[in-house]
This record gives sequence, C-alpha cells and structure tokens, in this order.
Amino acid sequence: MIELAHLTKQFGGVTALDDVSLRIDAGERLALVGENGAGKSSLMNVLYGLYQPDSGTISFDGVPTRLRTPAAALARGVGMVHQHFTLVPTLSVAENVVLGHEPRRGLGLDLSRARTEVAATCASLGFELDPRALVSSLTVGSQQKVEIVKALHRGVKTLVLDEPTAVLTPQEATELFAVTRTLSERGLTVILISHKLKEVLTFATRIAVMRRGRKVTEVSPQGTTPEALAEAMIGRAAPVGSHAPATPGPVVLSLHQVCSQGLVDVSLELRAGEILGIAGVDGNGQRELTEVVTGLRPFTSGVLTVAGQRVDRLDPARARALGVAHVPEDRLRRALVADLTVEENVSLGRHTQPPFAKGPRIDFAGRRARTLELVNANDVRPPTPTLRGGALSGGNQQKLVVARELDAKPKLLVVNQPTRGLDIAAVEAVRERLRAQRLEGCGVLLVSLDLDEVLALADRLVVFARGRAVATFERATFDERLIGQHMLGVAHA
Amino acid sequence: MRERLRAMVPSVVPIVLSLVGCFLAVVVLRGWSVAFDAFGAMFAGAFGDWPKFVDQGNAGLVLRPLGEAGNKAAILTLTGLSVAVAFRVGLFNIGAQGQLTVGALAAAVVGAKVDLPAVVHLPLCLLAAAVAGAGWAALPAVLKTTRGVHEVISTIMMNWIAVSLVENWLVVGPLKASASGVNSISGTDQIAASAELPRLFEGGSRLNAGLVLAVLAALVVWAFFGRLTRGFGWRVVGLNPEAARAAGVEVGQVVVQAMLVAGALAGVAGAVLVLGTEQKYPTTLGAPYGFDGIAMALLGQGDALGVLVTSLVFGALRAGGTRLQLFGVHKSFPELIQGFALLLVAARLVWERLARRLLPDREPKHG
Repeated sequence: MIELAHLTKQFGGVTALDDVSLRIDAGERLALVGENGAGKSSLMNVLYGLYQPDSGTISFDGVPTRLRTPAAALARGVGMVHQHFTLVPTLSVAENVVLGHEPRRGLGLDLSRARTEVAATCASLGFELDPRALVSSLTVGSQQKVEIVKALHRGVKTLVLDEPTAVLTPQEATELFAVTRTLSERGLTVILISHKLKEVLTFATRIAVMRRGRKVTEVSPQGTTPEALAEAMIGRAAPVGSHAPATPGPVVLSLHQVCSQGLVDVSLELRAGEILGIAGVDGNGQRELTEVVTGLRPFTSGVLTVAGQRVDRLDPARARALGVAHVPEDRLRRALVADLTVEENVSLGRHTQPPFAKGPRIDFAGRRARTLELVNANDVRPPTPTLRGGALSGGNQQKLVVARELDAKPKLLVVNQPTRGLDIAAVEAVRERLRAQRLEGCGVLLVSLDLDEVLALADRLVVFARGRAVATFERATFDERLIGQHMLGVAHA
Repeated sequence: MRERLRAMVPSVVPIVLSLVGCFLAVVVLRGWSVAFDAFGAMFAGAFGDWPKFVDQGNAGLVLRPLGEAGNKAAILTLTGLSVAVAFRVGLFNIGAQGQLTVGALAAAVVGAKVDLPAVVHLPLCLLAAAVAGAGWAALPAVLKTTRGVHEVISTIMMNWIAVSLVENWLVVGPLKASASGVNSISGTDQIAASAELPRLFEGGSRLNAGLVLAVLAALVVWAFFGRLTRGFGWRVVGLNPEAARAAGVEVGQVVVQAMLVAGALAGVAGAVLVLGTEQKYPTTLGAPYGFDGIAMALLGQGDALGVLVTSLVFGALRAGGTRLQLFGVHKSFPELIQGFALLLVAARLVWERLARRLLPDREPKHG
C-alpha cells in the first residue's frame, strides 16, 4: 500500500499540488482524472521521483520514504509509462527493455540472454513482440507494449500509465485495457491517468478526481456517471454540443482523382457550411490529404480545386491567400514556435499583413492589440502576449492556434486531430469553434483518429484506407460498426 | 529590462571568468607584480592609458590605443555579424574566413587597378568585396538547398579553396605587385588613395571609417531581425523551418539570401582590412578574423548588438595584447582569453541557471 499524505508542490508562484492525500491499495486499478493542469501528472511525477514535494510525505507500507530519483521509485516497485515514449527507435525491443540494467558477459552486453529473458516476459504477459524487432518498425500500440514490458521486466509492482490511449486506435486501446486488467488480476497495481471518462468508468475500480491541484473527490465507478465525473472535474456542468442541420453552400474544396505520395485516386468534395470528417486508422493517407490541400505536399496527378480556383501547384503561401487555414496535428512542429512569444506566434503566417505589419515593419502595437483580443476571446491562459509559446499548456497552445487560424476568416479550414491531448473543457471549446465556423459558412475538413469526434462533428464522413477514400457516409446513415469495418478494410461494400 | 539583463549573463560571465582565469594563470607562472603590470599594460593598450592622460594631458595616450582597438573591432564585428546572420536562420557559416579572403582580394584589386574619384572609388571597392564574399557563399547555399549538402562541410572546403587560390597563386602570381613600387614588393599593388577608408581623426589615432561601417551594419542587422516582418520570417526559419514553411515562408529562398548576406558581410570585413589597415592584399592576411567571427557570434549569442559589444571588447584586448610582450607574456594572450570564454559559453545551461538565480523570475511558470 502506498500512501501520499498532504503533498504540496509549487512551481514559481503556481501551486501544482495543494495538500493532496491519496491512498493506493495493492492490486487496485485507480484512475486519476482531471483537466490539463489539474495536477494529475505532477502528483505522479512526485510518486515517480521526478519532482520533490515542497511538503508532505510518501509512505510505502507505512514507511515514510523520500524518492529523490526515478531509480529510487523503481527500487520501490513504482514504474511509469509516459505519454511520450522513452524508447530508442534504432535499438531492438530486447535492447530497449534491458537498457540501464543490461545482463553482462564480461565487459559486453549478453544480448542472447537479454533476448531470452525479454521473450519470457513478453510470453508471460501474452504480448506478441519479437525481441529482435527494431522499435522504429513497430506500431505505436506495440511500442507502448514495449514500455509496459520494460517496466514489468524490472519487477514493477505499481504501474502508472499516463494518458495511455491518447496515441492508440480504438482497437489498440481495447487490447491495452484487456491486458492491463489481466495484469491487475494477477496482483499488479495500476494507476491510470486519463480524461477519457468512458474508459475510466469501464476500467477503474476506484476514481480520484483532481481539480486545480486539489483532490476534490473519490468515487467508485458504480456510483457515478460520465456527467457527474465531468462536473467534478471542471467544477460545473459540462457543455454539450448540439448539431444544427447543415446548410451547404458552394463547393470550397474538390479533389478529382488526386494522387500524391500516400494518396491514390482520391476524389471528394466539401461545401461551404459543412464539416467533412475523415475517418481512418492512423497512417492511411489522412495526413497526406491535409498536406496536399494546404500546399505542404505536392500532388502528382488529378485535379485540385480550392475556393473555386483550380490549382496546378499549391504552396502554403498560395493556399493561405486562397483562404485556407490549417490546424495541423502536431502543434509544436508546424503551428507554433516554442521559442517565439505568444504574440509572435499569433502573427505567424500573416506577419506581413495588417494588423501585424505596417509596410515592411512589424506593427508592434497592432500585433499586441490583436493578440490580446484573441487570447481574451478564446480564453487562452495566461493571457500574456510576451510569454514564450512553449510555456503554455498543450490545451492553451491549441486554443491559440485555432484562434489564430480562424482569425484569418478562412473559406476552408483544415484541421487534423484538433483535440488530441486536450481536457474536456478545452475539447468542447475547440469543437464549439468548429461548429460555429461551419454555421458562418466555412467549409471544414476534419481529420481525426478519434472516431467519436468525427461522428460528433461531421455532416458527412469519408473513410480512408491505404491512401484511398473507400466509403462515404451521410450523417443520417452513420453506422459505427460499418465505418469501423471500412477502416480496417474488412467491409464487403 | 530584467529579461535583457538575464539574457546577457551567459555572455558576460564567461568573458569575466576567462579574464580572471587567464590573469591567475599569469600570476601562477610569473608572480603578482608581472601579472598586474602585464594586464595593466594590456588594458592601457586596449582602452587607453587614462591615468597618464590625466597627468600629462596628452590626448594621444587615449586616442591611439582606442583607434587600434576600434580598427580591430570593426573587422571582428563584420565577420561576427556574418556568422550571426547565418546562425539566426539556423545555418553555421564556418566560411567567413574564405569569404573575407576573396572580399579582401576584390577590394585590393579594385582599389589598385581602377582610377576613380574617392566618392565612387571607395564604395565601388566595398561593393566589389561584398559581391565577392556573397559569391563565395553562394555555392554552399545553392548546394544546401538543392542537394542537401551541409553548409558546415561546404563552407570549410570553400575556405581552403579561397586561401589556396588567393594566397598561394593570385597574390604571388598574376596579381603580384609590380617591382616599380617604392614600398615592399610582397603582396598586391598598393591601393589608390581614393580607395582608402578615411581616418576619423587627424594625428594621434589611426581609427578609420571601418568602425562606422561596422556599427551601421550591426544596427541594420539588429533592426532587420527585430523590426521588420521579413526579419521575423528569417528568425522563424532558424527556430523551426517546418513551421516557417507552413506559415508560407519560402525556406529555401531565405537560406540562400541569408548565406549571401553573410558572405557579403564577411567580404566587407576583408575590404575594411585592406582599405583601412593594409592598403593592399599582403602576402598573408595574418589573423584568422573569419574564424574569430564564429567566436564573436557565439559570445554575442547571435544578436547583432551582442556581437558589436563583444567585438569591441575583444578588439580592444587584441590591440592591447601587443604590449604584453614588454613583460614577457606572449601577445596572443587575448586569443587565449577569447578561447577560454568561448569554451565557457558552451556551458550555457549553467549560466542560464545562474541568471535565473541572480535575477529570479517574477512571472510564474504556467503549464
């Protein structure tokens, strides 16, 4: 049994943990839910020895212990699988698992022993992992299994999973929970950090809710509902989006037999005032589609029409000029520059136009004014224009990107994974912006790996598989099972 | 303001530490009195002998050293800016030395072979040097954008080509000074008086207009990156090329343009050396000002004004360094100081942590 008592942790002037006490019983499946910044990860990082609490104690079976490093936590049987994996892609599964405590032969690594041991661990878990396979060749779901094997291989008794399903397909997530449930029945203690309430309710034996650095309540999954949990997390009733019928206008995007690297003969049409959802398993051409439409990837054949204009070649500047806005899947790779300030990031892409420029010069006053307008209207916190973009939390970064792209008054909005990694309130805020955009007559191309999201938002839905658009559904005929079959390529259409 | 001060710590602390460390090294080797005398002489040679000036009222005691310091600082500033401009867009211009070499030769040739009034002749020499330097940087730039050749490799190779071409062939071969000259016959022909960079003061000081040029260049570069939208686009390319591309910035064009500007700045540095100090392309340029530019850019943290200030400091120390010899300390000691400072700058994280401790955050961290 692990007992966290009165833990408090401050960063600068911000309280991340405020007198948090939590008991973790051996063998239970505890879910830790809360919005981004509620303190879930901070709490677990304290338990994992990454942060030192300012006050409070951690006791293992009644013995107060200071965990100064993750190694100390590991020695106490606490392991953690981070949301962003800590694997070396160029090493094999076995090498990754034994990294840091390698079996040795003389001065060298005893690779064959490592392989046998890792194979044994995998077998005992029921994982089908080849110890010789390179990590870079594995799917995201398999890589996560490697992380779990890595933890359990070290004899971990308490396993912390930080947002494990954020990167998984629905099938992989189901499998993960099945495996974890089995492990838990064999005596492993599992702590799940999540804000997907559905999975929390089906998986956990106990749920602790955090809000603004405090533990606000503990409930059992039988005694609660998703609505009640959401309310506890955000402190008020969660807004529920409505879906008004679409009033489609002129075509803002059309592809006719477009081919590119990763796309095969894709034809589709998107009208102003509707949301076209793209569903599919990760890596089936969705990203390539968004890149072609936004000018980031050349197409090799076919006809592309953007905002009524046929384009033979498209580059990002031209796409923007035609009225295309883009919210890419990876914020910090394409949309935001961590080392630029919030206001500089707001100007990015339109930095040569008013109100961000006066002739060739940067319009500092105009930029500041527009930034304040946007961060206040979109509840970006903290609303500080001079803060580094990288200092914002993920949810606030995304709100900033969405606010910026919509501020350009686009005719076509291309969004890829708009709510990945966001908490409930931020997810709903972003979705509400997309719905509003649709009502204002913008065409929205929505790509998401979260099928629930596509189903919730789209007026029409196109399923992508192996770079092709394989099926189209109207909102009235959305059939989750059939869509899933098309995604996996097993439907008989 | 606090932010600015904090940003300076990672540059200032290494320079001060290095000065102190080198001073202590002399103390250990030669004793306190030699160390004090030698460093005193170096500082007097660098920043002027102010106590003696107050005693005797001879302005030359201050102006002469400051002039030498300014002339050295001008060249360091220009090569430092060359490296810094490339650095800001994410490129390592190791080729400032080669660009400076061809720039110096271009200035020497145009300065000696063309006969024009000064108002046209001097600018023409500078322009020729800028074009030569830019041309020398063009090949690495084009190779980088079209073939993905890393600029570090190609600019280093271009350095060797420049030195071999200029110093091992042209200056001792086709462009060798004609024997009729009164002066020594090594190097190229003397430049015409109309091509010389004018001196700023009569008499005492040899300070020439190169420093004005360097300060102007620093201000222009500073304003470009800080004030203009185009400069903003360049910075984004340096920080995150993928985001720059998505924002509609033509990354390839920016890379080529930045390398051309970098080359031009190094070329002009060569011109300032020839038109201000040497009056011809000598047998060899002597000090590796192009490589010093890398040090200036790093010590100045890629910031134009930072480069200017560091260059003024090290230009002065270099100028004062010659006086160290009087005390039996080698004149290259300032280069040792520069080298140590550079080594210490690499420990950037340590200085940033120190800066945060010295000037604590008022703004809470959010996340």
